[in-house]
Amino acid sequence: MDDKKKQELLDAFSEKLTNAVRLYMDGCTRCGTCIDSCHAYQSMPETRYTPVGRAQVVRRLFDRYFKLSGRIAPGMNEAVEFTDEWMQQVLDAAYSCTGCRRCMTVCPFGIDTQQIQGIAKHLVNTAGMTPVVLNMLADMSIAKAETIEDTRENFEQGVKNLEAEVIEKWKSEAGEDAIPIGAQDANVLYVALAGKHSIIPAAAVMNAAKEKWSLSYFEAVNFGAFAGNPAKTKVIARRIIDEATRLNVKEVAICECGTAYRVMKYMTGDHPFKVVSVVELFARYVKEGRIKLDKSKIEGGVTYHDPCQMARNGGIYDEPRYLLEQLTDNFVEMTPTREDNWCCGGGGGLVAMGEKDFRMKSSSVKVDQVKATGAKVLCTACENCHTQLSDLNEHYDVGVKVEFLSELLADALVSE
Amino acid sequence: MVDRILYVITVPMVYLAVVWLVLGVIARIVMVLRAPAHPHTLKIFPERKAAPLVALWESFTMPTVRKSKPRFWVFLMLFHAAFGALILSHLDLLPQISIMPKDSPHMLGWGAVGVAVTISVTYFLLRRFASPVREVSVPADYLLLFLLLLTVLTGDTISWGNSWSEDGFVITKQDFGTYLDGLLHFTFEDPADTLYGSHYVVVAIHIFLANLFMMVLPFSKIMHAFFTVALNRFRRV
Repeated sequence: MDDKKKQELLDAFSEKLTNAVRLYMDGCTRCGTCIDSCHAYQSMPETRYTPVGRAQVVRRLFDRYFKLSGRIAPGMNEAVEFTDEWMQQVLDAAYSCTGCRRCMTVCPFGIDTQQIQGIAKHLVNTAGMTPVVLNMLADMSIAKAETIEDTRENFEQGVKNLEAEVIEKWKSEAGEDAIPIGAQDANVLYVALAGKHSIIPAAAVMNAAKEKWSLSYFEAVNFGAFAGNPAKTKVIARRIIDEATRLNVKEVAICECGTAYRVMKYMTGDHPFKVVSVVELFARYVKEGRIKLDKSKIEGGVTYHDPCQMARNGGIYDEPRYLLEQLTDNFVEMTPTREDNWCCGGGGGLVAMGEKDFRMKSSSVKVDQVKATGAKVLCTACENCHTQLSDLNEHYDVGVKVEFLSELLADALVSE
Repeated sequence: MVDRILYVITVPMVYLAVVWLVLGVIARIVMVLRAPAHPHTLKIFPERKAAPLVALWESFTMPTVRKSKPRFWVFLMLFHAAFGALILSHLDLLPQISIMPKDSPHMLGWGAVGVAVTISVTYFLLRRFASPVREVSVPADYLLLFLLLLTVLTGDTISWGNSWSEDGFVITKQDFGTYLDGLLHFTFEDPADTLYGSHYVVVAIHIFLANLFMMVLPFSKIMHAFFTVALNRFRRV
């Protein structure tokens, strides 16, 4: 690796050194408390899959370039220089961590491994090693905003084609405009994913609740965050913020996507509108009596997988449970649950990247956890989790039905 | 020659170590303070009421470790409580401070706090040699624990061995008080004049190791002692 490249990597590293990250770099005692908190290590007990093991890959670079001790006695902390070989380890560390932050709940200092792996992803990005698919998806999201006028007609026609399916789920209320787009002064701007499964059930529920809503032109997911590219993360989030501001909506409801919710709610500053998860919105509809649900629709026990970015990192624990209690009398909690819940193993961009072999091997602990519930239906509220859990279900022949919470709700809607 | 070395260790090197420690710790803290603020919250959920107090509680009682590694937690608590008591017991040697009765021949804790630190550090060291902690440890982790162990072992020797004579303590608590008071008032007197007896070499080695510990501290992970509240605050606020 030449000096110019090393300097670029060093500059990229420096950009990430906020006060918190400096403390994360300096504060770890390598006590090992976090080791078995990672689902990947639980499933594949190798040091490289421990939170501290992954963090050391980054910390050893920090020790070399940002600490006097790393320059005077690099051997003491095993400080390393940027090399092509070491960057390969940085890549492995970055994309074997799902950013679930379960380790943060056991660390005596609360060190946030996701932030440390954020450095790793930024370095990987600077070195031009980011998995092609993540950069491509992030660039496509940005390009869509830049060419919105060219694609608007096609998008609107595509949405129009879905309206019949919405009306089928909710016949009595949905009119011709079952999926409104670009509605000024709406109460809710719903930001979905690029797929009808993310639009139809939510539209049915919002129409049943007689909500004044509008569908966003943009997909919620932020591939910039997965790719560890702060600049792209901002641009991708900005599209939605600008749209919501222009339409003067009261709330932006993020679809069942954990990362999209966390980025919009907690990582993009203050907004002139409120940010909620669609799960929170739907729970409010039920509490306010705006929708009624039929409890007899689901057969067998139902368990719920807390998406890490929505629950541990977003605070949404009670609403999905409240909704499930309205849908079934046979709800079974996972063990461990809530903030201690095992990550499904699909976050951090892994699902988007494919990586099926690693995802399956690194998540056997999740499979054991699901099997132990004895549930027939495995419900979640995140696209990544749903894909990963579906893959695990198939790979390990778990025998559950993996469902989105919104789909269960839409199927259980009752006309008055 | 040996006398000269012992004098350098017990007087000038102590000043150097203390100044080094203070400046080093300040420099490290300044580096963190000068870094840009993190652009978004890092808290985890569920949110806690009185989050800053929770952060303080978590810093000093480590409930997350108690939950996931209860045996390790017992030794951690033993170590930190005893280490705190050890600092107090050394300060108590000064004539100006009276935690223990001044006429008592014993240090605070009657030597037990040193033993508690020794036991816990020995556990930490042995734990480092066992998998899976061994695989995530670096040379500095072992050397630091080894340095700490030697320091407390020599301290234990002074506490216990020094007292195992027919006349009780060979070097008394008051003798150590005179030495520390001399350091405090920059008298530059040779402590050999006060701390006489066969244990003086052990005292000098103990002071040498403690000096090394203080000088290494700003460059070591022991800085977590200064960072832990801030770190826990990020998790909660």
